[in-house]
Amino acid sequence: MVESTLVRSIIDIAMFFGLYVILAMALNFQFGNGGVPNMGSAVSVAFGGYIVSAFILRLIFWIGQGANIELGPDWVYDNIHNVDMMTVFFKEHALLGISLFVLALTLGLVLGTLFGYIISFPAIKLQGTYLMITLIAMSEASQVIGRNYVPISGGTLGVRVPNIFSFYEGDRSLLLAIITLSIGIVVFFIFSTMINSPYGRLIRALRENETTLNSTGKNVTGIRRNLLMFSSGITSVVGVLIVFYFSYSTSSIYMMSTYTFWPWLMLLVGGAGNNAGTFLGALLVISIRRLIIIFKWELTEFFWFPVAFLENILLGALLLVTMIFKPNGLIPEKSLYIPGLKYYKLIRESAPVSWRVSHERRSLLDIIQFWRRKERLKSEE
Amino acid sequence: MIPPLLMSFSVYASLITILAIGYTLTYIISHIPNFAHGTYAGLGIYTTYTLTRVMRFNPYISCPVGFVVGGIMGLILYIIVIKTLRMMGGSLIVLTIATLAIQITMDALINIYATFLRIRTESWAFMFVLKLNDFKWLGYQGIFPVSLLLCITIVIILHLFLTRTKMGIAMRATSENVELAQVVGIDADLIQMLSWFITGGLASLSGTLFPLWFECNPSTANRLINVTMAGSLFGGINNIYGAIIGGFFVGATEIIGTTALMYLFGPIVGEYRYMIPLVVVILVLLLEPQGVPGIIKRIRDSTKFASLYSRRRKW
Repeated sequence: MVESTLVRSIIDIAMFFGLYVILAMALNFQFGNGGVPNMGSAVSVAFGGYIVSAFILRLIFWIGQGANIELGPDWVYDNIHNVDMMTVFFKEHALLGISLFVLALTLGLVLGTLFGYIISFPAIKLQGTYLMITLIAMSEASQVIGRNYVPISGGTLGVRVPNIFSFYEGDRSLLLAIITLSIGIVVFFIFSTMINSPYGRLIRALRENETTLNSTGKNVTGIRRNLLMFSSGITSVVGVLIVFYFSYSTSSIYMMSTYTFWPWLMLLVGGAGNNAGTFLGALLVISIRRLIIIFKWELTEFFWFPVAFLENILLGALLLVTMIFKPNGLIPEKSLYIPGLKYYKLIRESAPVSWRVSHERRSLLDIIQFWRRKERLKSEE
Repeated sequence: MIPPLLMSFSVYASLITILAIGYTLTYIISHIPNFAHGTYAGLGIYTTYTLTRVMRFNPYISCPVGFVVGGIMGLILYIIVIKTLRMMGGSLIVLTIATLAIQITMDALINIYATFLRIRTESWAFMFVLKLNDFKWLGYQGIFPVSLLLCITIVIILHLFLTRTKMGIAMRATSENVELAQVVGIDADLIQMLSWFITGGLASLSGTLFPLWFECNPSTANRLINVTMAGSLFGGINNIYGAIIGGFFVGATEIIGTTALMYLFGPIVGEYRYMIPLVVVILVLLLEPQGVPGIIKRIRDSTKFASLYSRRRKW
């Protein structure tokens, strides 16, 4: 029993680490490198979830009707019966299940990018805190719409999603955790190559000084829109994975604190601007948070109030403590290493400066180095 | 006889206006959108609950108490968080995230306090309305004249404070340019502390009156920040007098607009009431980030108006 708890906790932490590290890397790409404070990652996550609950689920039921399975007529009230029937159906159709999963991920990426284009309209005009306000308002609006418009996500009751991996006899969550972590690794390589590319240097220039970048003829609003679109697509994939992990979708699971503030906390704890810090921050924060959730029953004996509030206090307090005591995070940002660039050529002085002219007092070692360099330059000439 | 819908609008709009004025004042002095502003109102709501339901006082006693509680909370937050972060050179985005963190923490603390009240006093502190504790005035609930009068009084006092007193003029100077104000000899830190005290107090004061008309729960405060932001942005976030227009506009759209739409399209629209302030926020930021003052300026700058103006001036 203890072993199974341990294994379950490790799988759970691995799954959530995979999900949140993708979110935190997307935020790192936008805020850490591009300087765009995206407070609306919950919108994209909700959008990815709604793709599965509104589109893929209907497709699954349509396939079921085509295969002559008796399904109930109502989308919400007959949902559990239908989902059970379809889960049995997918036991024999492994290829169909896998192709539906891949279709869901692709749709999440493509439609999420299109959705990013829509939510980037404020980004064209606004910047900084105004953008934050707009995106926070949008995340609340997505919750209100999802709660009240039943065809999207089943309204307040929510809808279940059939287990399309039912051909696999073992633990489904292990399979999904492995898939999520591998997607996370792919995303990591995509982001690190993008940051090291010329475009990555362009977005870093956007973070450092927007006016200068604009004056050199670069399209600042276009870059910002591209950033939001790309990250929104990747964040929507997270939403798709979440729905398949929970086998359930309702508007209230895409909470703003869960999918916006926790990834921000990871980003700030680890250190904005580098992916290593993001990994460390995500691992630390997710471990603390999942352990609190797993040992909720043991913790309630110590606290007389619900532990969910303790989690929120922890979130707020950790954010404040990090920003006050470690503003650069646990791993501060280092200067960018670009493979193929010869750094010593950039640093090397072209004309030797006489140490006698210099105001600073030099040590003997410096003097020796100076003469050596002078001789070397002479010999090169 | 005033219809209850109009009374509801009057109470709601007055209280939202008080909140929006405080939010605007914070934005003018500190240049950050304070997301914790609605949570101060939550402090006020639970001050009223404690004083009225638990200690059996008149609900209006909680007005001054709530003002002091909210003000002290604002002062503490300024000194511990905002001042420290600013001394370390935190950017505006970092400060805004700090206010979000304060909002999350304070919201959790209010929830814990409500749990404490429920366990300790065995009363239903998670969903309550204190309409019965209110007094009657000419057959109306007492909160109806009180909220409107309070709103008008606060606007007048704030106007006199900002234009007639030395401290208010110093505050306006600090909002224009901090370095220049310090050169003249104004203690900028004191001004900031005063502004955070006033804004926290005003928000909490507005919150103390909410349970007298509306049903309140611990997450009411979280919702109020959206409405406040909508009002403040509609009135141009840099303009205190615009916040009055914005507060009444958002109150009108939320209460009267929702009811009108419910008559037209059926009761399903009522569910989307919480969308209205969010839509107002997004539309204002997209179409005219300066709000009503921006629209007025645009009309004044337009060629038609300019030609009219010049024709009169031709002689």
